[in-house]
Amino acid sequence: MLITRRRLIAGSALGAAALKTGFVRRAAAETETIRIGFLPALTGPSSSTGIGINRGTIMAVDEINAAGGVNGRKIELITRDTQSDPTKAVNAATELTRREKVHVIFGPLNSGESLAATPLIARDGVPQLDPCWVDSLTDPKKYPLAFRNAPTNHQIGGAANHYVVEILKLPKVAVIGDTTGYGTASVNTYVPMLADIKADVVYHASVDAANPDLKPEMLRMQSAGAQVIMPWSVNAGFLARIINTRAQMNWDVPIVGQTTLGSGQTKALLDKPENWEKVYANNFRNCAYDASGKLPPRTVAFVEKLKAAKLEMSDTLLWWIALGYDAPRLIADTVKASGSSPDQIAGYWKTLKAWPGVYGDITWSADQRNGFPDDEIVMCRANSLDGGAFKLAPGYAA
Amino acid sequence: MTDTPVSSSAAITGGAAGRGLAARLEALWPYLALGLAAVALPLSGDTYWGIIATRACVYWVLVAGLNLVVGFAGQIAIGWVALLTLGAYTASVLTAGTATPALSPFLALIIAGVAGAIVGLIVGLPALRLRTFYFAITTLGFATIVTQIALAWQSVTGGGVGVPGPLFPGWFSSQWGFYYLCLGLAALCTWMTANLAASRFGRALVAIRDAEVAAEASGVAKPAVLMMVFLFSGAVAGVAGGLFASLQSYITPDAFTFDLSVLFFIAILIGGRGSIIGPLLGTIILTVLPEFAAPLVAWSTFLYAALLLLIVLLMPGGIADLIDYKNRRPLEQHRDIVPRPEMVAGILHQAGGNQSLTLDDVALSFDGVHAIDGLDLEIRPGEVHGLIGPNGSGKTTTLNVISGYNAPDRGAVRLGGEPLLPGASHLRASRRIARTFQTPRLIGAASVLENVMIGGTIDGRATFAESLLSFPRHLQDERMLRDAAMSALAVVGLDALAAVRADRLQHSELRFMEIARALMLRPNFLLLDEPAAGLSAEEIRRLGALIVAIARVGAGVLLVEHHAELIFDICDRVTVLNLGKVLAAGTPAQIRSHREVVSAYLGA
Amino acid sequence: MLQSIIAYGLTMGAIYALIGITYNVMFTASRVFSFTAGVLGMLGGVLGSLFIRRLGMPVAFGFILTLCCGMAIGIVTEILTVRPVLKSLDQHLYVLSTLAFALLIQQFTAIEWSTEPQPFPRLLNIGPGVFDQQFWLPIAACLATVVGLELLYRRTLIGRAFLAIAEDNYAARALGLPEQALRMTSYALAGAIGTLAGFAGGEVLLAFFANAPMLNFYGFVPVALGGMGSNRGAVIGGMALGLFQQAANFLVGGIFASVAVFVVFILVLLARPEGLGGATAARRV
Repeated sequence: MLITRRRLIAGSALGAAALKTGFVRRAAAETETIRIGFLPALTGPSSSTGIGINRGTIMAVDEINAAGGVNGRKIELITRDTQSDPTKAVNAATELTRREKVHVIFGPLNSGESLAATPLIARDGVPQLDPCWVDSLTDPKKYPLAFRNAPTNHQIGGAANHYVVEILKLPKVAVIGDTTGYGTASVNTYVPMLADIKADVVYHASVDAANPDLKPEMLRMQSAGAQVIMPWSVNAGFLARIINTRAQMNWDVPIVGQTTLGSGQTKALLDKPENWEKVYANNFRNCAYDASGKLPPRTVAFVEKLKAAKLEMSDTLLWWIALGYDAPRLIADTVKASGSSPDQIAGYWKTLKAWPGVYGDITWSADQRNGFPDDEIVMCRANSLDGGAFKLAPGYAA
Repeated sequence: MTDTPVSSSAAITGGAAGRGLAARLEALWPYLALGLAAVALPLSGDTYWGIIATRACVYWVLVAGLNLVVGFAGQIAIGWVALLTLGAYTASVLTAGTATPALSPFLALIIAGVAGAIVGLIVGLPALRLRTFYFAITTLGFATIVTQIALAWQSVTGGGVGVPGPLFPGWFSSQWGFYYLCLGLAALCTWMTANLAASRFGRALVAIRDAEVAAEASGVAKPAVLMMVFLFSGAVAGVAGGLFASLQSYITPDAFTFDLSVLFFIAILIGGRGSIIGPLLGTIILTVLPEFAAPLVAWSTFLYAALLLLIVLLMPGGIADLIDYKNRRPLEQHRDIVPRPEMVAGILHQAGGNQSLTLDDVALSFDGVHAIDGLDLEIRPGEVHGLIGPNGSGKTTTLNVISGYNAPDRGAVRLGGEPLLPGASHLRASRRIARTFQTPRLIGAASVLENVMIGGTIDGRATFAESLLSFPRHLQDERMLRDAAMSALAVVGLDALAAVRADRLQHSELRFMEIARALMLRPNFLLLDEPAAGLSAEEIRRLGALIVAIARVGAGVLLVEHHAELIFDICDRVTVLNLGKVLAAGTPAQIRSHREVVSAYLGA
Repeated sequence: MLQSIIAYGLTMGAIYALIGITYNVMFTASRVFSFTAGVLGMLGGVLGSLFIRRLGMPVAFGFILTLCCGMAIGIVTEILTVRPVLKSLDQHLYVLSTLAFALLIQQFTAIEWSTEPQPFPRLLNIGPGVFDQQFWLPIAACLATVVGLELLYRRTLIGRAFLAIAEDNYAARALGLPEQALRMTSYALAGAIGTLAGFAGGEVLLAFFANAPMLNFYGFVPVALGGMGSNRGAVIGGMALGLFQQAANFLVGGIFASVAVFVVFILVLLARPEGLGGATAARRV
């Protein structure tokens, strides 16, 4: 079954039409369907993550339901497109918690939307699985039911910084972000972190992603003596411009940074394929080819499944699809083991240890709501993209 | 302007006593119905619709103010989201304590309003100097600047990461409590803007939009009125921003999109310009619509744009026009205009004085062409002074110099020896100099009565704030202006059409309407620019009688005309212009037999 | 550094100038400023990328097809959003109708094409370096357009007819000039110029739907500064804007560069509302 955006919109249209005409739902009974509220940004400027994750999520839900559901209960995925807009995210989150009375919410998938929606979801006492990276989104006291099944900005930056300073041994660093929330937050967090591990940040700035000419900025980096460039942005155009400008300047320094450096969209915007040399992007161990060129068995099986389902991969990243695939399965396992009330779900999650996801092994505790393990964040060669997965960056033994 | 209590037909006939309860209810029922539904919403227990309704209230607080700018004053402020951003950040930063010690949310909200007022004034200032499209583009620029500043000033605004919104204390922290707060402010804004719409300021705004020249002649000072409107609109937008931040619970720069700005703007236009209820309904519709059409959510801005295009092309009056039943009643076909010259003395009883209006050696050129070249003219009180001449001889230019639209290159216009300020058209009204125009200047969408009431703008006593809050002085003003306008309409014979939309009138009726508007000033001097053009013979005769009656009460009338019979019938003196110079001046009898005049102009 | 500022500055300046000329051509034909100028620029890039890169057409063919689409949109703009409101005395309506139409096109592009900037194909193979085609293509296009328009207006009959309609509407009609047809043709011409701007600048701007509002603003600045209807003023204004913007980018950096441009623009406009080269308003009473 080919999952295209049209089918998704058609599907959610039917779903939405059916749901909107109904009355406000009563509280869930134990034999009712398991309702997962899903808040991706499928349209708008920050929709690439959402589109990718969405594919995996739908696939997992279909798979679980085809196998009979969870203890006989089917999963119902209730999707609301936030349109990359925090105001729509707030409306949609309220609709899911108040009207649709979902058991758990997966998302939102963009930081700005999550920052607005999370307090409201917490206020309504609905468990939330949030894959955004902004550090402040999890807080055991403020948001007791919010759990993160992805790394934090801190962890991501930490892995990249570690690679640059301790593995590549390049102490003079230039850090550049775009002017979005993600970009500015990253630069603000990572510069002090670099200083902590005794790196010398010779340049740092936030630059408008729409600026066609990054030469002045790169020249400034060069004249400050930077030995490595660390860009933080999910904007493929911005990242491609950095890569292209480095090539135009014939400046031989590595580029180490955001996962999107390795995406198909970035590749499409490069002047020459050779420009993609010496670009290392964050990625995740489960989606990387190890030293002997093999993927972990779990991932191999997953990729086979994707190929069989003819899932579109060339314009997105494997780990997005994997993340989307993991979420419903985690929820299914939770309900199977523990039940579907908020306390039951949160209770199970608080004691979760190394849950085997394709994307990563998730571990939570009462105090630790960030479930992704440090050592599963690795740097990969951006130009080694093959079947959605990458080769580890050089020097990366650990 | 057609939905305010003033213009209901029962109110018009019979003056003060006619504003019965029935008439007020007729105008108020949409608001009452909405208000009732809004207050009762919590009873449904549906908190999802509660959030949507709260959002609609917050948006309406902003749109109510913006309505005055866009719908009434006609300024195309597309980038008004800048003020929402400003208000949101101001309120959030002040309650979060990142730049100052943390303040109470209510105080922060008030300060957000003040900040909004100041920045609203700054954003609006270019409107005084720039053409429509230019101003639209500058507001877009402001919207971008404010967002950029929010992004850059990280220490205060949190930059891209953003900042938590204010949380109101006590009962207002609950969802319904906050809803009632927003509903209350929305109701307050509705009331205030409705008051303003039915005041001389509201009418002045619409006059600036549709008939700027006539507004100036009636003494409307465009800069002052616009500045007050921008202050008010900015203030409510700032408050709306604070409420918005609380609703979102957390704000980041990417929440303030261009789409939002477009939504506000389109809500006003769909609702209909010059209306309050129209944009209110428009805002509610546009806030609620995406919630019904989830699969179409991605296309929502596309649909709004399509809706806007349809409205502009097919229904420029918007929803307000759609619900305006009164103005669909057919009018009597063959209407006669019967002025009542005998009533003139009743309204102009204090006209006159001994001072003449004189032009001394006035000259004005346009790009090298001498429009007037050394003109001497004296208009005496109590006289009808005719000004005739071929096309291009400088007649209308003379009028424009006297009424201050053009400053002369040489010479001066004097009132009783004292020179009048050149080029200051809006000051003529206070000197009791009124005029009509070659092409009638009217506000098509407003009623005839409202058009005439504009003429008396400078006689209003209530301030902008008093009108907003419907203080007694405002109500007195309205009563006074309404009565005076009805009297003026009775004098020119149009009183039966007082409640009719002005653009439904025939051309000849519009000419008399302009005279009624001029009479509102109780003028000492009345300048008439070809008032007989397009009139039938009988109408011209009646016009003549009216003009004579006005002069006999003591006003000085300058009559620019082509109809020679009218001139020679009623004028006491006549001046003939040719190529900007005086060809001849004297009594009608002298002029009629003047050889040069006959050959240049009158014909044998 | 200086090299980079001048190269990019003149390139962007040429693109802005071309959009400004698009505004001007529409304005002189109808006394209307249309929000579709920026959208035409955006479509030049998007359609060029669609035809040549995605559908694989040869460069010359894709180029001509893009210009034809631009002309078609120009004609539709005139019929749908300008002609109906010209009769109305209310000058605000055209701002709204063209805004609505521009938004329609912009949103449609965002949804159907992509919300991310897509690559634009390399047209010739000259460069990289200061003489890279991405720099001088827009500049060449701008010069060609200005020279072409001069020849059109001064030397050809139809060009002089355009000028007549703009100069004195009534007189021209009295002479029997077909006003409506001429206006439509003007808008078609404007459509071609707008898409030319986007196409020539495609490599620099990429095929991105959000170019439309950006070009709307930055393309209008040359018109505002150079005076309405003045193509020479638009070129000078555009070049000045491009250089200033790139210099500001270098000196002040990303965020404040755009603030600097806006502030300067607003201040200049307030000082001289008719632009630095424009004429004062005509008689209004």
